[in-house]
Amino acid sequence: MITLRTILATAALSLVASGPVFAKAVVGDAAPGFTLTDSNGKARSLAEFKGKTVVLEWTNAECPFVKKHYGSGNMQAQQKEATGEGVVWLTINSGAPGKQGAVDGAGANAVIKTSGGGQTAYLLDPDGKVGHEYGAKTTPHMYVIDGEGKLRYMGGIDSIQSADQADIPKATQYVRQALTELKGGKAVSVSTSQPYGCSVKYGT
Amino acid sequence: MAALLSLLPFSAGNAAPVDAEHLTVELVAESTALAPGGSAWLGLRLKHDPHWHTYWINPGDSGLPTKLAWRVPPGYAVDEIAWPAPQRLRVGELHNFGYDGEMLLPVRVTVPAGAQPGERASFALDANWLVCEEECIPGKATLSLDLPIAAAPAPDPRWQALFAAAHAAQPQAVDWTGAATAHGDAVEIRLTGANLPPLEALDAFAVPEQVLANTAMTFARDGDALVATAARSEYFDKSKMPQTLDLVVVSRAEGVRAWRTRVAWREVEQTAAAASAPPHPSRRTKAVWRSRSRSHCSAACS
Repeated sequence: MITLRTILATAALSLVASGPVFAKAVVGDAAPGFTLTDSNGKARSLAEFKGKTVVLEWTNAECPFVKKHYGSGNMQAQQKEATGEGVVWLTINSGAPGKQGAVDGAGANAVIKTSGGGQTAYLLDPDGKVGHEYGAKTTPHMYVIDGEGKLRYMGGIDSIQSADQADIPKATQYVRQALTELKGGKAVSVSTSQPYGCSVKYGT
Repeated sequence: MAALLSLLPFSAGNAAPVDAEHLTVELVAESTALAPGGSAWLGLRLKHDPHWHTYWINPGDSGLPTKLAWRVPPGYAVDEIAWPAPQRLRVGELHNFGYDGEMLLPVRVTVPAGAQPGERASFALDANWLVCEEECIPGKATLSLDLPIAAAPAPDPRWQALFAAAHAAQPQAVDWTGAATAHGDAVEIRLTGANLPPLEALDAFAVPEQVLANTAMTFARDGDALVATAARSEYFDKSKMPQTLDLVVVSRAEGVRAWRTRVAWREVEQTAAAASAPPHPSRRTKAVWRSRSRSHCSAACS
């Protein structure tokens, strides 16, 4: 007889047994805390931004889906718009050294300069620890954390899963929508969506 | 301007195979001609470089499904892609669903009854795909195919093996009865009915995204039921609670066999009140529900 206990036990076992595990960031729960080094060598932590809305953006500048949103200027426009409103925007690269799009601090600064990025900081996560804690699977993969440190959105940057820039004007920009709603004191109407893009190039 | 456009090589599409990055694509047909008033199979042939893959309708943790936009003659109609059973493709820790090697995506075309033998029908197709090894490259091509109308079309020997494989991997409709019961992060899917597949080399895939996690399910038999244990998607949207879940079950024990089934979706609330039965349980799920409620309560509710 298979009981719910068996199922839950099996589920728990498989979590233990399956090697590297993605933790689960849960909308409505406290966002996992972290400290990472930014592109200028400075330690930055989530705690440092307590009281502010924080956007996390997983990136890999060589991924076609990231290129879609940077090549069109969509990502930089949203970064500037958000930071202009006092929101903190952290771009995170969890690519393992040697993998596509993995950068060191100088490489990250070059990407910011070339793209005209408007993020608050570009954080390096070469061992993928923070990526795993958030369950970041794709680039881009987006998270919005409110001033109390609660996760309020996770998922795709927008509603049309494609690598085609022409789709951007037709898509609902979920991060922008969530930030607008949070600013207006409203509930986030779309608090989760399917992230789409390239796989995050974690080390093995 | 129209004359200029007609000179552009892509205006009619490529009748020959297109060698894109890490993928060769070609529009092909199962038969050498089309019969008036009948239906026929066209196919997008995909020949992937070794280790590269494209994606199923639900691509899994990353990736994008292949998309087709057709231009067909008046009176003709094409269906959606008849997706063959996907493979589970592991990229690092991620699970993707898709295809590798040489295969084709079949599409059924309906030929008007008024089509005249001796005429020809021209099909054009804009295909968009994402091909990945670990890195990904989006690709697109415009393809074409020109077929004669004939009363008794003959099979095209060049593509018989690929169409046969695509048809064999086509998920068959079955009249299994099933329910997916979600409790917290765990989802238990019970299937009963005739000719349930053996447990060996079994896999199952949710057709929609954002319902089940993409990690592999575990399978067990419980009396006459096949029980799959899955996890809820991290991106499950409780504001859009599904009523049903479309599943494709794939056995690779003896070649590829696949079935498609629609199961009811049930939520068990994680509160003390949750142990009671749902408002309108189906007759089939009721017994299951009761037994589970008891075992749940013996541990947590007494």
